[in-house]
Amino acid sequence: MGEPAIHADRLSKTYNGTVTALRGLSLDVAQGEVFGFLGPNGAGKTTTVKLLNGLLKPSSGSCSVMGLQPLIHSSEVHKMCGVMTESAKMYGNMTGMENLEFFARMYGVEPGKAKARAESLLKCMDLWDVRGRELHTYSTGMAQRLSLARALINDPKVLLLDEPTNGLDPESANAVNSMIASLACKEGVTVFLCTHQLRYAQDICRRYGIIEKGTLLACGDLETLARNAQFCPKAAVRLPDGEQLENFERGNDGWWRADIKEDDDMPRLLKKFVEEGHHVYEARIVRPSIEDIYFRYVQINRGEEWH
Amino acid sequence: MALKKLSVPEEAIIRKDFHEIWDSKMARSTLITVSLMLVIAIPVIFLIVIVNTPANQINGADKLMKMLPPSAQNFNIKQASFYIMTNSLFPMFFLMIPLMSSSVTAACSFVGEREHGTLETLLLTPMKPKQLFGAKVKGCVMLSAVITAISFAAFAIVTSVGDILLHLPFFFSWSWLVLILLFAPAVTVLGVMFMVLASAKSKSYVEAVQTSGYIVIPLILLFLGEFAGLFALNAVAFLIISAVIIALDVIIGEIAARSFRTEKLLK
Repeated sequence: MGEPAIHADRLSKTYNGTVTALRGLSLDVAQGEVFGFLGPNGAGKTTTVKLLNGLLKPSSGSCSVMGLQPLIHSSEVHKMCGVMTESAKMYGNMTGMENLEFFARMYGVEPGKAKARAESLLKCMDLWDVRGRELHTYSTGMAQRLSLARALINDPKVLLLDEPTNGLDPESANAVNSMIASLACKEGVTVFLCTHQLRYAQDICRRYGIIEKGTLLACGDLETLARNAQFCPKAAVRLPDGEQLENFERGNDGWWRADIKEDDDMPRLLKKFVEEGHHVYEARIVRPSIEDIYFRYVQINRGEEWH
Repeated sequence: MALKKLSVPEEAIIRKDFHEIWDSKMARSTLITVSLMLVIAIPVIFLIVIVNTPANQINGADKLMKMLPPSAQNFNIKQASFYIMTNSLFPMFFLMIPLMSSSVTAACSFVGEREHGTLETLLLTPMKPKQLFGAKVKGCVMLSAVITAISFAAFAIVTSVGDILLHLPFFFSWSWLVLILLFAPAVTVLGVMFMVLASAKSKSYVEAVQTSGYIVIPLILLFLGEFAGLFALNAVAFLIISAVIIALDVIIGEIAARSFRTEKLLK
């Protein structure tokens, strides 16, 4: 594996010496990877983003982006990163076009090129028709998309996105997610996506970090996380009314479910059901979603019993 | 033309600040109204009063005559009145302009970013906080310099008309030269630096501008002292005061630049 795009080593942040927002975070995000950083509000996601782009100084530990420490090489890191946070706003009295042109020039892009880049992003984000309107007249979705366009104005290698779909309607959220996925897929951009909207995360992320109260509870791909949380895949079968399966539980939806150890168990089970004379209408393997896994980890962390 | 020597980001931030200040009704009206009042309205009113008031009805004539320097001892009471105004009162009014314009522009530029939540976005760009600070200071100083220059041109016209009407020599003196070339620029920088420091404590543009009122007090006291006869303000005195203010600019500038750190700004 090459040098990670994002590296954190025992990264901690305490505000005013009393409030600990992040405790010893260690993780690596590979180049070109879409990494979902999941946690509730106040978990430490925004603090992590701000530490990674050098807006905050770590209380202890260290981090790097593309091998550069953000505090020491802030300009270089900012040149490579596109950052979108809820608190980083744009100018309400400027139009969408003016905002993008301005930020392009803040990255040193010459005026002519800045205009071309702004135009291409406005078209890409479906904001072309409102490019001449002042930002304060934009809807939440439009403003979010403009913020994403601003984060992309410098052709970043790494995108640090803090709740990019917050406050968006499902259609806009899907559009933003598709854009992020396409950036990672076609242009090899590394995406560090902080969100508490777990379903959207599952659509685009390859690996996840689960954080709560400043502590990273788990990190890995869906399969690893599920295995470590002792989640098993389930065999789900639909039978006609009146038929019953031994060692299976019937759900309210009429499906019979039971844990299986691995995918290979499924054909064996189906063969057995047919041999026993059951009439199998439908059968499938049900895997845990990132939402199921997330809540399992949170409950384990809180010391609650898992049912 | 001066903008051509700046980097692309510096030029962008200065142009953006110019537009933002001009687009702010409150800042624009303050800059225009106060300047017009101080360099046109008040001098014109004084001139009309002096020209139209019979010489024997001008109060405190003896006191005014005593304030005249030896070179102006042959002036009549009307000439003396306008001469004293031009050299003792109007400099104070004039210096209010760089002070006021720099405070208003800096409040808009620095506090405005904080108020609108755009400071963090600027800090995410490759511009270092020090460069951002420098660009913003340059922008405020340039805009204030333009306003001060235009104001002085307007003031010079009004005063010259007064000089012609009252058969006085052209008002421009060594004192005015020092005021224009040293005192006003020093005060401009002071106004900006003071506002940068004040912006850390101010939550809004209005609050910041109100705070800037404190910095006017020493200026008023200075000229009141002259009127009370405590000291005479001539070119040498202005030179010394300018040097003190420049020293203050350097000290406050250093403090302001050091306080312009990312984490502190985003608190």
